[in-house]
Amino acid sequence: MASTIPGIDDAHEALKKHKIVIAGVGETDQGKIPDKSSFHFLSEASKIAIGDAGINKSDVDGLVTAFSLVEHTFMHCTTFADYFGLRPKFFSSVAIGGATAVWMVAEAAMAIASGQAEVVLCVRGDNTLSGISSSGMVALIREMCHAEFEFPYGLTTPGGYALAAQRYFHDYGAKQEHLAAVAVTMRKHAAMKENAMNKEPLTIEDVVNSRIIAEPLRKYDCSIISDGGAAFIVTTEKRAKALGIQKPLVYLWGMGQGYSHQYLTTLKDLNQIYNAIGSSGQKAFQTAGIGPKDVDVAFLYDCFTITVLLELEGLGFVPRGEGGPFALEGRMEIGKDLPVNTHGGLLSQAHLGAMHHVVEATTQLRGEAGPRQVKDAEVALVHGNGGIVSAHSTVVLGREPLS
Amino acid sequence: MTEKKEYEKPLPEFRPETKPYWDACKRHEFVLPRSRTTSEFFFYPRAISPGEDMSEDIEWIKASGKAKVWTYAIHHMGPTKAYKGEPPYVVALVETEEGVKMMTNIVDCDPKDVYIGMDVEVVFDDVTPEVALPKFRPIQK
Repeated sequence: MASTIPGIDDAHEALKKHKIVIAGVGETDQGKIPDKSSFHFLSEASKIAIGDAGINKSDVDGLVTAFSLVEHTFMHCTTFADYFGLRPKFFSSVAIGGATAVWMVAEAAMAIASGQAEVVLCVRGDNTLSGISSSGMVALIREMCHAEFEFPYGLTTPGGYALAAQRYFHDYGAKQEHLAAVAVTMRKHAAMKENAMNKEPLTIEDVVNSRIIAEPLRKYDCSIISDGGAAFIVTTEKRAKALGIQKPLVYLWGMGQGYSHQYLTTLKDLNQIYNAIGSSGQKAFQTAGIGPKDVDVAFLYDCFTITVLLELEGLGFVPRGEGGPFALEGRMEIGKDLPVNTHGGLLSQAHLGAMHHVVEATTQLRGEAGPRQVKDAEVALVHGNGGIVSAHSTVVLGREPLS
Repeated sequence: MTEKKEYEKPLPEFRPETKPYWDACKRHEFVLPRSRTTSEFFFYPRAISPGEDMSEDIEWIKASGKAKVWTYAIHHMGPTKAYKGEPPYVVALVETEEGVKMMTNIVDCDPKDVYIGMDVEVVFDDVTPEVALPKFRPIQK
């Protein structure tokens, strides 16, 4: 596709010049961990990422956090800076739901490129499984959907995605088995990831016969809830070398956002969602100077199985309506056409937004994914989705500097 | 209707700009907001038209009350405790004849009989003395 997005050439030159890198990653244990608080997980993940980069805590001069579903704070980033004992020159909290983690990379990159900081710690952690109350779960959907014009009709979070799935079935003739195949692939990958919550094999039959939550979505179409933390450190190649970082660096090649709606009420049609995913992806692809065919491993936000199909199609990996057969033929598995979520994703590993997606993308490009390693992985894409397929963010990462 | 249990499901909290809508619902009148500048309907109600015109001159138009199901999800679990033990219910997005979408429940039919494109009409559910929720039911042929 021709380079038609205004400013895209400048964006390419800026990323080429600054050589923004992910230089450290960290994940805590994930699962049901009732004896740790949200801020404990944030601290633990930060410590692991700092250790992974092999730098000192005092080398960190920027901080990007997100939010907690359990411990509500007025200013999340500075609350964590206080708890962890950081005095950052740059600090920001990103709060765009599932699009957050991917955009934390971009937020850090923009801060670095504008001279606000040199080494930015991006971290999220929460004791969602152990700590969230039933009223907290209710607050989540009430705040995500329209409290006045949607919530009184009894909409749930899975229900919102079920509305999208039902229309997708109608427009493209997709079936339950197509969604189920996504859950089955994620489970296969999770079996190879040490800290994954759910590793027992899952079959298409298991998924389509599991408990109905909101038709057409069933239990295994829905992601899991977990406790845990994850972090990554964003800096420049130059600063990483000056700090003596030994780990292989992973380079930021492109980034983009796409907005569709906040409330499903204002959604015109499925094209609006595809266009939001597509514009997010196109901005990232064109900045990177690549296309979908150049991606070796993809990380697609999988809060529900339906989102993976919409993202596969919206990002241009497959034509619209062909995500289901692609999944059913096992083409998202490691070793196949386009390995997706090699860590098991939100459906089987753990749920911390797309934090683990970013960490795993880095791990793959470093060549450190062990049994899950995608052979010769040079380019990775990570896509996040916030709200009910509402707000999108994409980054493209590379093993080599952007050329 | 006598012994009616207190309504414990989520209720809308009115804003100044949405009150005319809910007031009309209470009278069992279905109205939609429209910009006087562009004559374009929009939904949900806002104080300023979300169109390019950003008009503050909003009029309330009596709508036909007829719509088509655009998509639906049969909920087997509700968002709050008040839904516990309830039979499955249908949350739908319908497109009204005036061309706006709204979220609603499809009532007065078996959830299994709902389909995309189904013709439905508004019916008001007086859930409390203050709130009537517009819901939709199949149009009898």
